[in-house]
Amino acid sequence: MSVAPSLPHPLLRPMAHVRAQFQRWWQARLPLTDIFTLTQRNVYILPTRPGLMLGVTLLVLLVASINYQLNLGYLLTFLLAGCSLVAMQVCHATLRGLTMHLIAPYPVFTGATAIIGINLENRRQSTRFGIGLALLGSDHWSWTDVPAQANATVHVAFKPERRGLHRVPALTAETHFPLGTFRVWTVWRPAAQVLVYPAPEPHAPALPLGEPRAGDAAAAPGPGSGDYDGIRAYRRGDPLKLVVWKKAARANELVSRDTQQVQRHELWLEPQKTGLSQPEQQLSRLCAWVLQAEQQGLDYGLRLGGLEIKPAHGEAQKRRCLQALALC
Amino acid sequence: MLNPLHHLRLLPRDSRDTLFMLLVIAWVVLPQVSHLPLWCSLLSGAVMLWRGWLAVTLRPLPSRWWLWLLLVLTVGATLFTHKTLLGRDAGLTLIVVLLALKTLELRARRDAFVVFFLSFFMMLSNFFFSQSLLTAGAMLIALLGLLTALVNAHMPVGKPPLLQAARIAGSMTLLGAPIMVLLFLLFPRLAPLWGVPSDAMSGRSGLSATMQVGNIASLALDDSIAMRIRFEGAPPRQSDLYFRGPVLSSFDGRSWQPLRSGLPAQLRPLPHLQVQGAPVNYQVTLEPNQRPWLLLLDATPNAPLLTGFEARMTPELQWLVERPITDLLRYTARSYPDFSHGPLRPVAGLQDYLELPIGFNPRTLQLAAEMRRDPRYAADDGTQLIAAVLQRLRSGGYVYTLEPGVYGRDSADEFWFDRKEGFCEHIASSFVILLRALKLPARVVTGYQGGEQNPVDGFWTVRQSDAHAWAEVWLNGRGWVRVDPTAAVAPGRVGSLQRLQAPRGVITEALLGNVSPALALNLRAVWDAVNNRWNQSVLNYTQRTQLNLLKDLGFESPSWEDLIYLLIGIVVLASLGGAAWTLWERLRQDPWLRLLAQAAKRLQKAGVQLAPNSPPRRMAEQLSAQLGPEHPAAQRIGDWLLRLEALRYAPPAAQHSRLPALQREFKRLHWPT
Repeated sequence: MSVAPSLPHPLLRPMAHVRAQFQRWWQARLPLTDIFTLTQRNVYILPTRPGLMLGVTLLVLLVASINYQLNLGYLLTFLLAGCSLVAMQVCHATLRGLTMHLIAPYPVFTGATAIIGINLENRRQSTRFGIGLALLGSDHWSWTDVPAQANATVHVAFKPERRGLHRVPALTAETHFPLGTFRVWTVWRPAAQVLVYPAPEPHAPALPLGEPRAGDAAAAPGPGSGDYDGIRAYRRGDPLKLVVWKKAARANELVSRDTQQVQRHELWLEPQKTGLSQPEQQLSRLCAWVLQAEQQGLDYGLRLGGLEIKPAHGEAQKRRCLQALALC
Repeated sequence: MLNPLHHLRLLPRDSRDTLFMLLVIAWVVLPQVSHLPLWCSLLSGAVMLWRGWLAVTLRPLPSRWWLWLLLVLTVGATLFTHKTLLGRDAGLTLIVVLLALKTLELRARRDAFVVFFLSFFMMLSNFFFSQSLLTAGAMLIALLGLLTALVNAHMPVGKPPLLQAARIAGSMTLLGAPIMVLLFLLFPRLAPLWGVPSDAMSGRSGLSATMQVGNIASLALDDSIAMRIRFEGAPPRQSDLYFRGPVLSSFDGRSWQPLRSGLPAQLRPLPHLQVQGAPVNYQVTLEPNQRPWLLLLDATPNAPLLTGFEARMTPELQWLVERPITDLLRYTARSYPDFSHGPLRPVAGLQDYLELPIGFNPRTLQLAAEMRRDPRYAADDGTQLIAAVLQRLRSGGYVYTLEPGVYGRDSADEFWFDRKEGFCEHIASSFVILLRALKLPARVVTGYQGGEQNPVDGFWTVRQSDAHAWAEVWLNGRGWVRVDPTAAVAPGRVGSLQRLQAPRGVITEALLGNVSPALALNLRAVWDAVNNRWNQSVLNYTQRTQLNLLKDLGFESPSWEDLIYLLIGIVVLASLGGAAWTLWERLRQDPWLRLLAQAAKRLQKAGVQLAPNSPPRRMAEQLSAQLGPEHPAAQRIGDWLLRLEALRYAPPAAQHSRLPALQREFKRLHWPT
């Protein structure tokens, strides 16, 4: 999976190896959940580099106050120290008590960007400022404030590399508010999964020809001799001989004869018909065909290994087929 | 044309934040301007104005070459001005310059941090010059400003109003204040870890070790406080309040200096101090004077009680300590206004007090010779001569003024014959020169004279403007005798509450111009009392006060280890408290839910079948199903439950205010059993 990169070489970079292993072990311990409430147990805090610098500053101020016996210097040093301690508490409280809800992500095609919506719920009487969310290990932060007793939604994007059912990668929420001297963060492994369809082939060839409807084959008249039920708007892929040219010349738009002919043939999409040998390429072309057939308003079915989806038409059919393609 | 304020409001966030940061930096640097070289103030001001203009007009920042050029130039200029890059003054100049230049590359958050930390050093360096209440207030505002800027920098979303960041910074400071108080009280006060660089001591006002004409004039205009005194019992008369500072006995024509005798120290006359009469007991809180001088009333035979210093008396009765007083110092002393000192008979060493530089003040010497030739004084032991000189001062048209102008080479001649005006230092100097010319051993004593009682807290305040110079004459059979010639010229200067008013500044004039003098005096008394409180409780908080605090808390013989234990104990207690609070917060239940649970319990006791987590409406339905809709208890309880439900959807403020009424009603309801 994309969230677990390969470990660094244990001999070449032993420290990095140990670290990566520790992180992997640590993350594996985290529960999978779509509603994540932040408590003392899962919020971490460490000083940042400016925080350490502030510590050094405090030390220098203290030594200067001692050396020059400046009581006002002591006051300044201790007030600053007090503020830093309060800031530490405020920083931790910014995340503590926050509840994060994962909004179920929509399926995407391979190579496209999946958008994960996260709803942040603040039950506190005061605003939580400057909360950033990102994929664990990435550097693209989405920042938001969560108003008092209200919700805020953040979107985080990720790019799945392969088709299939993927777990939403581990997320991290972070804040530096109020002084930037501490980094408070949490790591969240959502349970939700995102379905990734194969990438549709960019310039797929035209749809394969339909098969005669089973059991009806003898009675079926040959192509081109069907009864015309009427006319309808031109759809991409209509054979040229179906176009009613006289009407088209008058109406300034293409019009096709609506015929039962197509209905007498069933469009079955199968890997064998793609004429490709690589299974992923086959899936890619089938994906493109599903989209094409759906766009043309044709009924289509899918045969994939042992699976058979009866010809139908519409959003549900499209989803069923794409899902089958994604998971096979 | 847009209103400029409106224009400011329309600025993008970056520009607004930059302008605010510049404002804060200016506020931090401004109190230091008088201590900085002129070029440094001008350059920093210009750079910051430039940066502000860039921000307002949304222009790009200058290239790095500019910065490097300016940096090299300013480091060179610092080196040229201070001859070093180390030490306090050079460091201060460098920090100010760096701070100003850093604003030219305020790009990333890291730069904001650098500005933040440099500003703290600036604030601390302010305290080298003043630790007054005003400075503390100004620096508190600076701290709030810096925190606001930092909080604002960590609000990454949108353009939050600065006031919001300021409110957060303010509440953080308020919450941090108890920690500050605790640490301030209990953090062990240590001695300096290493020697304090000597340049920390320069540039502060106070009495001087030498006296040149015009030197005390600048002091007389300085209204700052030199020391505060609390007398045990009745204070001595105002005219007896002579606080002895350096005694100046060698004159080179231009300036008076401490005695440079040709005699070895062991041969010089001893103090021979004799005291009589009732002593005066008092406590002095001395402002740091950067000199090893303790200022005590004339005359103090025994060393004052003070910690951290070893006091000793010079043969000229001045009390010294072994190192300069750089901090507020408190000591108790016992002095005797009635005293005599000095050898009673002529001894070797007295001729040092007759020396005059050759070729100076010829007319004064001539005047002395004429007086000596006068048969009236032929048999005089000196008293009549002194009386005659004082009489001359009193009736010869001599005037006391703070602005006598610049004196020339023969200052005594000019005073006695030409100008006939001056203040204590001119008068004392000319007086001693004339007495020496009359062959009477005499010397100049400097110190403070007078003071005023603050009616608010009863402390006596002695200000730098009370700095004074008087004379001591040696008389055969009596030793050294104090003569204050200034009293002869201006009786009001000595021994009265009338203080010479320094001319007011423009701002003070504008502020206090219309205030009646009595009100102004009262205001000043209150202000002094507040300042004194500040000095006594904050600036004078030393290890001894700290240990006394422990004693009050019940420690038998406190040491600084006890302070650490106490501090650790408080930290442990605070942590435990924090943990308990977290636990409570976790267990805390919504009061509404608790009330609902209580109601459910009562109903279940009455035998009403309730599903777990039933809402109030459902509970009411169950109840009326069980008891019948006409049952009065069912109606009342049902009504209460529906109101409880309605409250859940009320605005939060209403929930807070109306819940208690429902809780009271819950107790009054007749629950079925």
